[in-house]
Amino acid sequence: MSCSNLTMWVSSKPSLSDTSSLSFRSCLSPFQLPFSQSSYPATSNSKSSVVHCGLRELRDRIDSVKNTQKITEAMKLVAAAKVRRAQEAVVNGRPFSETLVEVLYNINEQLQTEDIDVPLTSVRPVKKVALVVVTGDRGLCGGFNNAIIKKAVARIEELKDLGVDYTVISVGKKGNSFFVRRPYIPVDKFLEGGSLPTAKEAQAIADDVFSLFVSEEVDKVELLYTKFVSLVKSDPVIHTLLPLSPKGEICDVNGNCVDAAEDEFFRLTTKEGKLTVERDVVRTQTADFSPILQFEQDPVQILDALLPLYLNSQILRALQESLASELAARMSAMSNATDNALELKKTLSMVYNRQRQAKITGEILEIIAGANALV
Amino acid sequence: MTLNLCVLTPNRIVWDSEVKEIILSTNSGQISILPNHAPIATTVDIDILRIRLNDQWLTMALMGGFARIGNNEITVLVNDAEKGSDIDPQEAQQTLEMAEANLSKAEGKRQTIEANLALRRARTRVEAINMMS
Repeated sequence: MSCSNLTMWVSSKPSLSDTSSLSFRSCLSPFQLPFSQSSYPATSNSKSSVVHCGLRELRDRIDSVKNTQKITEAMKLVAAAKVRRAQEAVVNGRPFSETLVEVLYNINEQLQTEDIDVPLTSVRPVKKVALVVVTGDRGLCGGFNNAIIKKAVARIEELKDLGVDYTVISVGKKGNSFFVRRPYIPVDKFLEGGSLPTAKEAQAIADDVFSLFVSEEVDKVELLYTKFVSLVKSDPVIHTLLPLSPKGEICDVNGNCVDAAEDEFFRLTTKEGKLTVERDVVRTQTADFSPILQFEQDPVQILDALLPLYLNSQILRALQESLASELAARMSAMSNATDNALELKKTLSMVYNRQRQAKITGEILEIIAGANALV
Repeated sequence: MTLNLCVLTPNRIVWDSEVKEIILSTNSGQISILPNHAPIATTVDIDILRIRLNDQWLTMALMGGFARIGNNEITVLVNDAEKGSDIDPQEAQQTLEMAEANLSKAEGKRQTIEANLALRRARTRVEAINMMS
């Protein structure tokens, strides 16, 4: 009687925790799988060993979940600290981009009347497109890398349907390993992102797209990156990088233009103890500029010098946004994982305590039954 | 009148203080800028920038960009800038040799463009060090 009761307890409880672990499997899979499998054969074996083995196993499981929780929590905190650094990088780059936009805007005003032809702005019939795909270097950040890769694959399909040739420039380890596994997608170059995007990385990408475009190997360059919207939201977007429009505007695929004089930047703040992000739209002041400015060289040459700078700062910004999105995604993924681990730990300890109690009850019953038999 | 120089790169502000005189390499040759210079806009080549502080000359390697002068304010926007004193001579020399080797190996229009750019950057860095000593 007591024995059958016991098996009921044991067999019903692990199955409960198993269903719960199923839902957590996405974030805790390496730790979960071996345990959920091994608990089944243990319950179907001899009854006395079930309890002992189950108890010890449960204890192991609780410990392992505890460790996982510690790791995920630490990763969450690290990501939060890094988001702040990413934000600093954006702030450091501001004087440059502000001055650049100001100068470009003014020079463009003065050049409106002249007929200019700059290689970076030449619009040619599109035969081949280069896609710069910006991914992260590491996993464990939810759907971040998947989202941008999916977007890239969708864009490739679109281009295929249009009969346009394409090539990929992959930035970031995750993207690299994806494209390496798919040799049928032509990849021009693999680049790695590094921990914090600097002008050097942006320069490497800019050099590559610049030479591709100027040598007329490709007629259009598109940048696929993850736009940072907020800590919990980021969108994979496609930006047309080249040809640059001489008006200092960048357009996305649908032709929506973003005015370059409008600069957005994000700021991490704390609101009621929780991290939040503010996004400011800053209208760069473009008034104070000497009207009697002389050009040392041809306006064409000056635009030639300015537009690569603009290209660089655009790429750098995309890299920075992508990194911020990655970190934000990791933060929320790790926060979820920590929550799940906590819940799992709670369920497991409950099962553990119940089993322990059942075992004690069983032993007492045995002793009483033995005593009764003696009388 | 004091002349203020501001060198900006996408990452940071490299220089933002008063100077006596600078010699800037533009695409159409070197120009020297003293206080009360006429307002001009010019391109900046991949070359060195020489800065005079009182009687002392400093060099800086500029990686191409743009400069705006006016109102005793010089704003230099460049892809990258390094002070001559911050460059590691050995590393710069090695990079230069590598860039030279790459150029001789380069095939096709595109590779030549890339190799040429890399070589000019490397050469500028070496020059920035040599100019100091």
